[in-house]
Amino acid sequence: MAVDITLLFRASVKTVKTRNKALGVAVGGGVDGSRDELFRRSPRPKGDFSSRAREVISHIGKLRDFLLEHRKDYINAYSHVMSEYGRMTDTERDQIDQDAQTFMRTCSEAIQQLRTQAHKEIHSQQVKEHRSVVLDFIEDYLKRVCKLYSEQRAIRVKRVVDKKRLSKLEPEPNTKTRESMSSEKGSRHPSQESEEKPATEEYPEKVPAESQPELGTWGEGKGDDELSPEEIQMFEQENQRLIGEMNSLFDEVRQIEGRVVEISRLQEIFTEKVLQQEAEIDSIHQLVVGATENIKEGNEDIREVSTLGPPRSPQCGTTSGQQPSSCWHGCLSALLGPNPQGSPDGTTQSHLHPHQTLGPHYCQET
Amino acid sequence: MVGVKMAAAAAASIRERQTVALKRMLNFNVPHVKNSTGEPVWKVLIYDRFGQDIISPLLSVKELRDMGITLHLLLHSDRDPIPDVPAVYFVMPTEENIDRMCQDLRNQLYESYYLNFISAISRSKLEDIANAALAASAVTQVAKVFDQYLNFITLEDDMFVLCNQNKELVSYRAINRPDITDTEMETVMDTIVDSLFCFFVTLGAVPIIRCSRGTAAEMVAVKLDKKLRENLRDARNSLFTGDTLGAGQFSFQRPLLVLVDRNIDLATPLHHTWTYQALVHDVLDFHLNRVNLEESSGVENSPAGARPKRKNKKSYDLTPVDKFWQKHKGSPFPEVAESVQQELESYRAQEDEVKRLKSIMGLEGEDEGAISMLSDNTAKLTSAVSSLPELLEKKRLIDLHTNVATAVLEHIKARKLDVYFEYEEKIMSKTTLDKSLLDIISDPDAGTPEDKMRLFLIYYISAQQAPSEADLEQYKKALTDAGCNLNPLQYIKQWKAFAKMASAPTSYGNTTTKPMGLLSRVMNTGSQFVMEGVKNLVLKQQNLPVTRILDNLMEMKSNPETDDYRYFDPKMLRGNDSSVPRNKNPFQEAIVFVVGGGNYIEYQNLVDYIKGKQGKHILYGCSELFNATQFIKQLSQLGQK
Repeated sequence: MAVDITLLFRASVKTVKTRNKALGVAVGGGVDGSRDELFRRSPRPKGDFSSRAREVISHIGKLRDFLLEHRKDYINAYSHVMSEYGRMTDTERDQIDQDAQTFMRTCSEAIQQLRTQAHKEIHSQQVKEHRSVVLDFIEDYLKRVCKLYSEQRAIRVKRVVDKKRLSKLEPEPNTKTRESMSSEKGSRHPSQESEEKPATEEYPEKVPAESQPELGTWGEGKGDDELSPEEIQMFEQENQRLIGEMNSLFDEVRQIEGRVVEISRLQEIFTEKVLQQEAEIDSIHQLVVGATENIKEGNEDIREVSTLGPPRSPQCGTTSGQQPSSCWHGCLSALLGPNPQGSPDGTTQSHLHPHQTLGPHYCQET
Repeated sequence: MVGVKMAAAAAASIRERQTVALKRMLNFNVPHVKNSTGEPVWKVLIYDRFGQDIISPLLSVKELRDMGITLHLLLHSDRDPIPDVPAVYFVMPTEENIDRMCQDLRNQLYESYYLNFISAISRSKLEDIANAALAASAVTQVAKVFDQYLNFITLEDDMFVLCNQNKELVSYRAINRPDITDTEMETVMDTIVDSLFCFFVTLGAVPIIRCSRGTAAEMVAVKLDKKLRENLRDARNSLFTGDTLGAGQFSFQRPLLVLVDRNIDLATPLHHTWTYQALVHDVLDFHLNRVNLEESSGVENSPAGARPKRKNKKSYDLTPVDKFWQKHKGSPFPEVAESVQQELESYRAQEDEVKRLKSIMGLEGEDEGAISMLSDNTAKLTSAVSSLPELLEKKRLIDLHTNVATAVLEHIKARKLDVYFEYEEKIMSKTTLDKSLLDIISDPDAGTPEDKMRLFLIYYISAQQAPSEADLEQYKKALTDAGCNLNPLQYIKQWKAFAKMASAPTSYGNTTTKPMGLLSRVMNTGSQFVMEGVKNLVLKQQNLPVTRILDNLMEMKSNPETDDYRYFDPKMLRGNDSSVPRNKNPFQEAIVFVVGGGNYIEYQNLVDYIKGKQGKHILYGCSELFNATQFIKQLSQLGQK
């Protein structure tokens, strides 16, 4: 269990102060010390970097607070009629979305800027490392806050998609005006009814149940004298059909929705992985290029060496096109007798050396 | 009111406690709470080598990053000023460290300073810092000063050692050398007691101490008792009051601390071993949970005269997160080899599964009508992708253990360690030997000279009567022929003479090892761990001397060996010890501490012993951790005089 001895330390400071005073030792501390401290500290370069870093952090903090504050209203969908407080129109939501996005963009730009600047003026390795890690922290913070935003936006987008689908399923038989109006109102009614139950699954169950009497009464209210019993019958049948259609459509929508969400998630993961691999592939590319260069140089060296070996082939080291002549020479010498230098040229043909893959068959010393 | 929890909690995990303490320290001495939308705070960590040894088995670099540490630096390195950053120091309060810290204050390297001392700092040194702070007008910058009482290194959930940096000071040799002066002994004892005290402060319990008479362990016990007693009496500063016991952990029973001296059992540190963790420690370069391997890259024939292939050095951390290690570190080696094979196979199966999905995905573009198949596969793909990180981690672990186990196996085969192990077990349990000792020693194939020396020493230690002069000469000659240095034998002779006077020779219990037949399952599966010629030995449970002593004391059994052990209870008002324990009930928790050095074989033996007992916990600690090679070196130095 750790023991806090800060107070003990402060007491020691006092002791030392009094002792020094008693001994008459001139010391930077004392009553003036605190003022000196202040003076001494202010001209100290606080560091552009850290003050800007803190600015960015406070910005992100503001964004986070802003998002958290309005989160409840944002998610509490379609609170048109619900209450006076916590009402948020779509335009307001759009506004929030836009603001949040621009904010996030500016924040990430600021982080990038900081990154490039941070490494410019400083020569110390430690400070550089420290700064890059600090920037990593800030980025991570931004990511976490963005997650907040993207979560609530995902919920909203899902709802908008649902809404659009439902609004397309309005009945056709009536006049165009009624259609257009119904599509408008229809979008509101379902949302009205579903206020109490924000779960998306409940929508379609409620909507067909509610829209039917709504449309029914509405239809009656609108052109009561125009409708005949047969038409009412027809409408009702139509309604039933539409309900059936909507149910099946709804199932499909749900499935597709699930898959789309999964696919988008996978997409994200893949993008991340690809980006990660990009860096690795780059480095591998560099290494391979370097290796190729090395091997080329190695080849050159070996060629040169082989020119020095059998002295009768002066052109051996220059171009590969000249190689066959030296090989020919080599074979000749093997036929004539063992080479005093002991270079087993005769065996070169059967001897596969790894370097051979890169160049034509040429003589070499083993 | 202090919350009451059952006994198990207190000795549960020393590793957890120390980690929690460290994290709190890193969080500016405020308990650490995870907050997903919290603002980042950054700091730098400055430690000395002691601090590094304490932190490195417990926190990885990633975990340090998670705590907001941007840089971690050694105290005595060149450090540049980093403006506007708080610095957390975690150092021992030695002269040099204090000087360096004062220098830092004068150079105004950081914005604020959080000073944490591994063990308690003295008043005068605190004043030195105060002086420097005043001179640098930096008093307000020193934000907090803490005594952390963390002066010990935790390696496992239930195992700790005292130190790594200055283990020369408290080594077996240091304690047992004949030319030690009283003052030096005092220093050594004080170091040990300081660490043990820190250990109990962190554990939050005051133990009942038992130790044997007439040994270094007794000196440690006396001092520890005194220190604990003083601290308990000092009501103002006591570290053991209820509210400092940490979050309502209050056990009904106090733990038992058994202090034993290395000298009661010198054979175990020399013993060849057969369990995974002990083998790794014995045969490879392993300390602070990190093993360093030298891999020779492949078996390609390098052209003669070419530069020799550079050996890759690899080091691996064997951490609590490594599930395979946690499961198998105490298993006999053939089992480990089998398990690695099994893991590899299951990993391959999962990999194939993922690959299969890849090919199914390839169909997707061509076949429009496969939408329904797609939905099922999307789910499978998602699960496969999300399990990818797990798979990768598994692969990494399998690679790690394959490499480590292969390295161990190479040693076993080259030195015929299985033969040694079996033979030594037989010697230690006094069963009849089928091969003569002389044969093994003279056998040029089996083992290094050191292995032979170890074998002979074990024989010498366990023998009821010393071998006759003629025999001894024969052995000595054989050993010298094999290239051994005979100094350790000198020392062991002296030790034996002394030990005979002190007490009855320790016996190692009855045990047999049964070879399980050369055709083990391992060979049949055609694994890469080709253990041909290596016996598949099965360990039967035996109790080493340390375990036996613990058993007697913990279960309050009466036994001539332990009956006259001293008894200390720091909480009792009367200072004097008595040999009569007041407590008649068996203990639920015990801490075994070996003064003079310990090793993994003993640790494993204790773990095995306590496995069978429900609800009991044992912690194992030692003043230093050595393997047989290091121990032989110390014995040889002692024998030289």
